[in-house]
Amino acid sequence: MSSQTKTRNPLIALPENIWRSIFRNPLPSSDLGRASTSFTNFFLHLHPVKVHRNSLRATFTLGLGLMAFFLFMILVVTGILLMFYYVPSTTQAYDRMLDLRGTVAFGIFLRNMHRWSAHGMVAVVFLHMCRVFLTGSYKPPREFNWVLGVLLLLVTLFLSFTGYLLPWDQLAFWAITVGTSIASYAPIVGKEVKFLLLGDSTVGQEALLRFYVLHVAVLPAVLSLLVAIHFWRIRKDGGLSRPEEEDALPADVPAPTQVEVVQGPAVVMATSPAAAAAAQPVLEKRHYGIQGLVRGPFTKIGNVPDRSVFAWPNLFMAELVVFLITVAGVLLVSLFFNAPLEEPVNVMHPPNPAKAPWYFLGLQEQVSYSAFWGGVGIPTIEVLLLFLVPYLDRKIAGVGRWFARERLLANFLFLTFVIVNVVLIIIGTFFRGPNWEFVSPW
Amino acid sequence: MKTPAKPEIEEGGDAMTRRRLLSWLSGFGLLGSLIITVLSNLIFIKPRATYGQPNRFSIGKPEDFPSGARLSLDARRVCIVRDGDKIAAISTTCTHLGCIVSVSETGFACPCHGSRYDQDGNVTGGPAPRALPWYQVSLAPNGDIEVDKDTEIEAGNYLRV
Repeated sequence: MSSQTKTRNPLIALPENIWRSIFRNPLPSSDLGRASTSFTNFFLHLHPVKVHRNSLRATFTLGLGLMAFFLFMILVVTGILLMFYYVPSTTQAYDRMLDLRGTVAFGIFLRNMHRWSAHGMVAVVFLHMCRVFLTGSYKPPREFNWVLGVLLLLVTLFLSFTGYLLPWDQLAFWAITVGTSIASYAPIVGKEVKFLLLGDSTVGQEALLRFYVLHVAVLPAVLSLLVAIHFWRIRKDGGLSRPEEEDALPADVPAPTQVEVVQGPAVVMATSPAAAAAAQPVLEKRHYGIQGLVRGPFTKIGNVPDRSVFAWPNLFMAELVVFLITVAGVLLVSLFFNAPLEEPVNVMHPPNPAKAPWYFLGLQEQVSYSAFWGGVGIPTIEVLLLFLVPYLDRKIAGVGRWFARERLLANFLFLTFVIVNVVLIIIGTFFRGPNWEFVSPW
Repeated sequence: MKTPAKPEIEEGGDAMTRRRLLSWLSGFGLLGSLIITVLSNLIFIKPRATYGQPNRFSIGKPEDFPSGARLSLDARRVCIVRDGDKIAAISTTCTHLGCIVSVSETGFACPCHGSRYDQDGNVTGGPAPRALPWYQVSLAPNGDIEVDKDTEIEAGNYLRV
């Protein structure tokens, strides 16, 4: 190619040269090209070159993890845009909300997108956790990624909680008053934590500024870091979980004939007969330089060549579809429903009832029975149990299948946990009226 | 981190070699710096001065409160109770989760989670874990009544004016 560029006029070749310098590969037409495309592109190289078919089954993952990630992306983008007009001041914040409605171009739409994506992210992260549990995907070697996932759920909840204060409307003010009071029930450090969160003894300017900094800088940074590790570990743990029998060789595919191990600094060259190439004689070898450290049970290069397909285009298309569905959903909801904005803060008069956002209403319902047990004790036990799930349930059976029969007890316990929390949220949302008294929604 | 099995270290076995001692000391040094950094950050974010309302404030002359008055100063979050020549300040911050309780016929009621208190602030219902605190009330030299929210006193202790 170098001789070609020499003879051509560099000005004529300029666009092509620039393009080639950015994208080293033309659109791939061979397996080698597909592999090469995947790891010469910064964004694509986060993915494996080949991915197991089971990971691509929409009915297995439901695309929930990706959806949560894309919602976070939407939140980052819309959040940064909203920052151009928002002022974290008790005297200005609410007016800025009205400005978003009235004067800022697309202001109301951006705020809708941000609010609904936030609600969506809480819901989707929770559903993603349910998917991972009900398919037994937290089993070894994926235990620690489950722990990271629980951390991500907590950070997501805290992000949405800090975001709630920023409009400085009645809902915001009283939700934060109640929320930080719940924190103060924690033993020993509770009062201190509340004071550090609020920066004062009551909810006011200091609290608004603190929540703003947490919401736009600290927590997104923490979440991004955790997401990065979460994704990285998916690959290091050998991709998404799948049933054991999926790893067995199907009858119509010959066993891998050759795995060449080049002696040297832990680099493995593997010959992998792709399913497509199965019919061809194996002699027509294609060597893919697959980079990466390969050790112990984590080796997923040489030993699962059979039911995997190339990430390009299979995985990338699947991701694109999930992305489009997510964006379309958020756009549609934002078009038809406006994010709620209540009266401006009135420190004298809490609304009656003063309700938190829906995902905290289960907690608020618990709190109405006992502040310590409902707000601190039981949630702490629940979170601890969630963290410990992969270390308490050590049975290996039933991985990678929905509602595996071997996991009847575990799934039953988990679903009980889910249903109890959902019922509490429903009671808190629809059945509680003034003074938190029982009312009928009908 | 496991020490790589280099011969010169294996020589010492479990004995404390100079290299091992220095490794330990540097390790402790780094750990110590980390702890100090975390603590400094915690100290930094804990404000030394707050910008909100002062906890000690004047509420006016005793004459402003007629006998039998139960006047809730929502901005200050206290209810001034006057009974004959006795005067007291009861907190209107719900002991459950910090909402402002409103004065009701029977005492106080919280709009958030339904806690109820009697006239003296004792819990009569709902999730509130303890009674509403009473605050120290004193007469300033200029004749104003001063409330000190930093000093809680026992219920039933009135100031005579």
